[in-house]
Amino acid sequence: MADLAIHTEQLTKMYGKRRGLAGLDLSVDTGEVYGFLGPNGAGKTTTIRILLDLIRPTSGRVELLGGDPRRDGVALRRRIGYLPGDFIVDGKQTVTELLTYLGNLRGGIPRERVTTLAGRLDLDLSAKIRSLSKGNRQKVGVVQAFMHQPELLILDEPTSGLDPLLQQTFLDMVREARTAGQTVFMSSHVMSEVQQTADRVGIVREGVLVAVERVEDLRERGVRRVEIHFEDPVTVEEFAGLPGVSDVTLTADVLRCRLDGRADPLVKAAAKHTVIGLLSEEPDLEELFVTYYRGAPDDAA
Amino acid sequence: MMLRNPFTKALWDARRAILGWGMGIGYVAVMYTAFYPSISKPAFASALQNYPEGLKKAFNIQDMTSPAGYLGSYVFGLLVPVLLAVFMIIFGSRAIAGDEEAGTLDLVLAHPVSRPRLLLSRLAGLATAVLFACAVVYLLLLAIAGPTKTSAVGAGHLAAMTVQLALFGMLFGALTLGVGAATGRRSAAVGAGVVVVVFGYFGNNLAPQVHGLGWVQRLSPFYWYLAGKPLVNGLDLAGCAVLLAVAVVLAAAGLVRFRRRDLAV
Repeated sequence: MADLAIHTEQLTKMYGKRRGLAGLDLSVDTGEVYGFLGPNGAGKTTTIRILLDLIRPTSGRVELLGGDPRRDGVALRRRIGYLPGDFIVDGKQTVTELLTYLGNLRGGIPRERVTTLAGRLDLDLSAKIRSLSKGNRQKVGVVQAFMHQPELLILDEPTSGLDPLLQQTFLDMVREARTAGQTVFMSSHVMSEVQQTADRVGIVREGVLVAVERVEDLRERGVRRVEIHFEDPVTVEEFAGLPGVSDVTLTADVLRCRLDGRADPLVKAAAKHTVIGLLSEEPDLEELFVTYYRGAPDDAA
Repeated sequence: MMLRNPFTKALWDARRAILGWGMGIGYVAVMYTAFYPSISKPAFASALQNYPEGLKKAFNIQDMTSPAGYLGSYVFGLLVPVLLAVFMIIFGSRAIAGDEEAGTLDLVLAHPVSRPRLLLSRLAGLATAVLFACAVVYLLLLAIAGPTKTSAVGAGHLAAMTVQLALFGMLFGALTLGVGAATGRRSAAVGAGVVVVVFGYFGNNLAPQVHGLGWVQRLSPFYWYLAGKPLVNGLDLAGCAVLLAVAVVLAAAGLVRFRRRDLAV
């Protein structure tokens, strides 16, 4: 199982009588970006805290980078970068002081590495933590997770509080991490946050993994809005009956429709005419995801 | 560099508290000692003679005329140890339970730091704080021994008293650290500390006066701290051993539970 960065079997966690996890089977490949999606309270943070040995499972097996989080905790955590869902640190220290301390717990981090990351995220290293906004505090969290270039990044809702520009910077950092061979395991409750970077998404609901999908496959199946501009008028009938095509409207020589699944039949039909422009939106994977949230219909998509 | 590891970091974060409490406790010790020359006058001593024996015992006031008796009951008998205990209750309950409630413990333990290492680092921080406060008390009392006419006690016996004081303080540090580590709740740690101070004090001073309750005294940390009269007899090894052993057991019990339990979110 050396090629799995994270592997759990029938992982359960009870908080007294309350369910945390109810038999989670999770496999994250080494080197991939894995999006761990689910609504609030589904068990995402519980899973992550078990991986870091902050809490202990009620039953089931966990393997992390080939080791046991409980037995090999210190050695494993040396190889992991962790961004908690709530990044809480003592506010009386400066960013540099905190990062120096956390770096020292890992045996020291080259200074340029920290200043480079801080520069990219536009983070003021001399500021007192207390004086930082929520978004700026989150940046500190991102820096401390990435600064030692760990084999495995475990990120719990990493982009919460970051503005759109910084979200892009963050996603670039995730892509670079993958390029460098690092594994990224990131949780979220919104698909849009992970669909841009993740290779695969796992969807967790009520403590079990209900689906694992390649993002590429999801994209292929996702519903997208398509707009085609023709040189000459066309008829609705030519397109309305095509597989996957629905909600067809025609205004003058512009055709608008919803496309569910592969684009091939629509493109071939359009190709019979002269096409001036073609606009296809990024598929809305959120919609697919919400169906899983509500109680996955098996293979409905 | 103070940001090197959890031990130095704890000291650095608490530097003002450690300085403040150390100086404060030293100041109280000096103030009380400074009263000795006026209290040791014969008129005052004969006034005390008329106090009921029970009252004197209850307040630890016995041999008031000798410097060792005075320091033992007034300086080391009540205010200084209670202040040190309060300092340790605050510091010890913060050490793990306080951080856990604040939410800052997660991140440190998500680093390559084991729970035993963290607990021992915090315990070492408490020990350093206690040693600092006791060193301040010792050095100040030694410095004013001449002017306050207390030099008859001698540096050696004063040192013995301060060592017992340090172990007494450490017991409260280990107690509150241990309870906090076991439960994750600061209120539980503070509660345990306060109960032991209050019952310990009265158990040591009042219980022996109630027929059949004499044994209760031996449950009190005050007893093991004071009973050997270190200012008169030098270091009471049995007392030191009991205080140290209880502190070790409390910290170890806290660690056993801390290693096994879930951290609170």
